[in-house]
Amino acid sequence: MFWMIIFLPLLGALVNGLLVRNKVPKTLSHVIGAAALIGAFFCALAVYIPFMAGGGKQQIIIGMDWLRAGSFEAPFHFILDRLSGMMMLIVTGIGSLIHIYAGGYMHEEKETWRFFSYLNLFVFMMLLLVFGDNMLVMFIGWEGVGLCSYLLIGYWYESDANAAAGMKAFLVNRIGDIGFLIGIFLTYKYFGTVSFSELKDMVFGNGVTPVQLEAVSWITLALFIGACGKSAQLPLYVWLPDAMAGPTPVSALIHAATMVTAGIYMMTRLSFLYYLAPDTQVIVAAVGAATALFAATIALVQNDIKKVLAYSTVSQLGYMVLACGVGAFSGGVFHLFTHACFKALLFLGAGSVIVAMHHKQDMREMGGLKKYMPITHVVMLIGVLAIIGFPGLSGFFSKDEILWKAWIGGGPVIWLMGALAALCTAFYMVRLLMLTFYGPNRSDHHTREHLHETSVVMWGPLTILALLSVFVGYLNVPHVIPFPVHQLFDHYLAPVVEMPEIAKQNWTHLTATYPASLEFLLMGISVLGMFLSSAFAISLYGKGPSPLAKRMAERFSGIHELLENKYWIDEIYDAYIVKPLAEMSHFMWKVIDVMIIDGIVNGVGQACTLIGGLASFRMSGSIHRHAMVLVIGLLCMLTVLIF
Amino acid sequence: MVPVDMYLVLATVMFTCGIVGIMARRNLIMVLMSIELMLNAVNIVFVAASRAVNNLDGQIMVFFIITVAACEAAVGLAMVIALYRKYGRIDTNFLRMLRG
Repeated sequence: MFWMIIFLPLLGALVNGLLVRNKVPKTLSHVIGAAALIGAFFCALAVYIPFMAGGGKQQIIIGMDWLRAGSFEAPFHFILDRLSGMMMLIVTGIGSLIHIYAGGYMHEEKETWRFFSYLNLFVFMMLLLVFGDNMLVMFIGWEGVGLCSYLLIGYWYESDANAAAGMKAFLVNRIGDIGFLIGIFLTYKYFGTVSFSELKDMVFGNGVTPVQLEAVSWITLALFIGACGKSAQLPLYVWLPDAMAGPTPVSALIHAATMVTAGIYMMTRLSFLYYLAPDTQVIVAAVGAATALFAATIALVQNDIKKVLAYSTVSQLGYMVLACGVGAFSGGVFHLFTHACFKALLFLGAGSVIVAMHHKQDMREMGGLKKYMPITHVVMLIGVLAIIGFPGLSGFFSKDEILWKAWIGGGPVIWLMGALAALCTAFYMVRLLMLTFYGPNRSDHHTREHLHETSVVMWGPLTILALLSVFVGYLNVPHVIPFPVHQLFDHYLAPVVEMPEIAKQNWTHLTATYPASLEFLLMGISVLGMFLSSAFAISLYGKGPSPLAKRMAERFSGIHELLENKYWIDEIYDAYIVKPLAEMSHFMWKVIDVMIIDGIVNGVGQACTLIGGLASFRMSGSIHRHAMVLVIGLLCMLTVLIF
Repeated sequence: MVPVDMYLVLATVMFTCGIVGIMARRNLIMVLMSIELMLNAVNIVFVAASRAVNNLDGQIMVFFIITVAACEAAVGLAMVIALYRKYGRIDTNFLRMLRG
């Protein structure tokens, strides 16, 4: 049953990609793709329920031997514990919903078999990443999801911009992957194994030597660079907004719910190492908080509906990394879970809007869609309320947990950055909702005539995701709120994110007790801020972009321009990294390679010809003379040998 | 019985004839025949020595040499024919393609 979870998506990809291709009707490729995922989801349930019934103890599932060189071993063994169990449900569950939805979204496309083949392959790679018991198997999945991301961003490859966006994602991820690889090498050098379970047993069994402890800082830092690439953190986040060039279901599945959370997943899997490296954790928390705030400010002024969601994703990923950085790994993973639900919902909702708008994505041309798309409106409203942390919805519980841990673990500055990011989140999400669904309709006559609610294939999955967005938060209710069960999720994940004994002295503040009033106060501040910020957004954009909004943009034109141009980060990277690199490569090619290296090689050849030419004046071409020289030489040699 | 020295003398004379033939004759066919002559001089030495020391190895070697010589003659003559077809002559004064 376990193997079916992994191999059903691969089977789906192979059937769609190699067997049927365009020989069958498009609906059938959709059915194959979705069926593979739904089958995998039910297999996952069938594995998960007995697994949890048996106490949820970590299991190693023996696959097969793979690499073996001296003392180095990297077999295909799979780890099934509470963390990977949860991830497999997210990946296959939300993946199924998105696969169903994609059938409606990709309805008018020609090559749906290609799309579903890539999408299934992605799920296979993601499951490999999640289940791999050693870093190398995880790395295969890590690269595999990167490949599928590249293929799907460039799905509409006829357009140069899409192909370039795919390449950008691929290349930026490579930078992170160097960090990941160095982390793997260092782990092997200092611990002699790359298996997660062995590593954990080692740390919890014998403890670590001082040398290893020092190495752990570098290992975790190198791995964090890998996580930065995959999970779109500063300074490697630039690929994610461009990745929105892909079809919207791809943005929902890969660039919001699953792949981009791989960095957080990897850090949580190695949480025992991160607990041992407080120095790295400071960097992690700072990067997370900075990313959360930085991306949220960019999202404030974007006009493309998918760009807003993309920056929002970067910002939310920043929250998760921040949570890992302050030692609240279960909080980070919980936010990963809730975010997977509501961000998938938001992306798919935006996809429905985009379909209804005939693939227009500019929010300035939308407005008033509430009347035309009532169901989409309701689910989007739920998604927005969830992400801005409206009390009672999932985002409230997960985000508040992170902000609370940021206060006790990272201090007021980190908390302030997180809280400000939350304010921005409330503003831009409400702005998105207002510009899209409320106010007068600003689209042209032709588009307005064709505005319509989407088919059940599309809004069906949305309602399920909306229900999830409302209720999953109750899995982790903080102690201060009266509720029958508290912090279920923290207890659930506790065995995975256990802290090594020697690390406990560094993390006493996490286990200390704090007055409930403080937690209430912080929660009150963020909820109040959220309401004020939302009210501000409603007043500015409730009836379309108000004159006040325009006046503010003019009044603060410097800031507005800075934000609208995303801090000119792309331009800066282009001028200071891409251009110099391209010029250096050009220099390497034209001067070093063509002139120097080729010059040396060709020069040696020409010199040989020249010297040969000089020596060849004795070559008359007459075989008699050649024979004579031969005989004379022979005689000379014989003379020497005999006498 | 003829002493082995006599065979060696005969072989030396034949071999020298071959060398002189290669160096002096201008006709390619004559050159090839001179090469055959040299090979057969060697054969005689082999057989004589084999007889003298009562060891059959030399005679076996002769068979190999005869075989190789046949092949060499076939290839050589084929090349001569090809040259003749191409240039209409097989005079080595004319055929100087090895000139540097």
